[in-house]
Amino acid sequence: MMSESWDGTLSFTEFFVAASNFSEQWRKLNSSLPQWTWIPSPKRRPWVPTNDQAGYLALENMILPRLSKGNAHHKSDVAETEECCSDYEDEAVDTAVVVLNDGSGEHRYDLHAVYSVSYRVPVLYFRAYRNDGQPLLLDVIEKDFSIDSAQLLTRAKWTFITQEEHPELRRPWYMLHPCGTSEWMTLLLSSDVSSAQDRIPREKYLLSWFSVVGQVFGIKLHLEMLNLVAPQ
Amino acid sequence: MASETQKVVVHLRATGDAPILKQSKFKIGGDEKFIKVIDFLRRQLHRETLFVYLNSAFSPNPDELVTDLYNNFGFDGKLVVNYACSMAWG
Repeated sequence: MMSESWDGTLSFTEFFVAASNFSEQWRKLNSSLPQWTWIPSPKRRPWVPTNDQAGYLALENMILPRLSKGNAHHKSDVAETEECCSDYEDEAVDTAVVVLNDGSGEHRYDLHAVYSVSYRVPVLYFRAYRNDGQPLLLDVIEKDFSIDSAQLLTRAKWTFITQEEHPELRRPWYMLHPCGTSEWMTLLLSSDVSSAQDRIPREKYLLSWFSVVGQVFGIKLHLEMLNLVAPQ
Repeated sequence: MASETQKVVVHLRATGDAPILKQSKFKIGGDEKFIKVIDFLRRQLHRETLFVYLNSAFSPNPDELVTDLYNNFGFDGKLVVNYACSMAWG
């Protein structure tokens, strides 16, 4: 067998190439969605070769697909409640109550793919907030997640959610722990059946990677994007 | 028959040290979601800890329709689905 083969990890340069490739494909097929953007890091990183640009890949202000359908029309409920109270004075109070009870608004997600120098894989950092910028805590976020996929991944210990300092922003963010990443990436990208030349090139790494981590957020990759990684 | 959504032959292929199924091929309605395939595997293997993927390339969203996956990634009249079990330390 070809078990001398690849261990599922990437160098920073490979990560950068894969990130450019991924964001370009995303742009072609998801033009109506927020875009993945490379955010350069102001600092030099010792593991980044001198002619490469340190940084990470960010998708900001994303409304999760399932939620954009489900939660869209709480507003009409609000209007009705307000109408039945003819008293002007009460209106302000009503709105406050609605915000507390409903608490929905739209949830927006920032997802960052940051290279981990210790695991040599991309790591997904994320945070979520309401329209007014108020951050969401994990118990609220978990209700947003696609139950099937999130359970699938976390129960199987392919990943789990933890809170860590964002390596670039130096603030606590949630992250999908990368300890299993190289293992499932090896599974994904080097089947024991397919021959060596069928291996997908490293530049497609992020497509495969996001097909897994995106499931936690219910984000589907366009089938055409997946076609790019699938050997024919 | 003609009006029904076509059935798709799914070929389940174990990777790593995942147990091999006695019946590795089965038919499923194309209008079913991929989660059905995952659930079937879970029941057959009595495991929650599965990693399910296609074409040595990606892991399909459980919400995808089997027929869409078949049309894009099937060949020889079947959709090959690989599965692996969780890591030893899990």
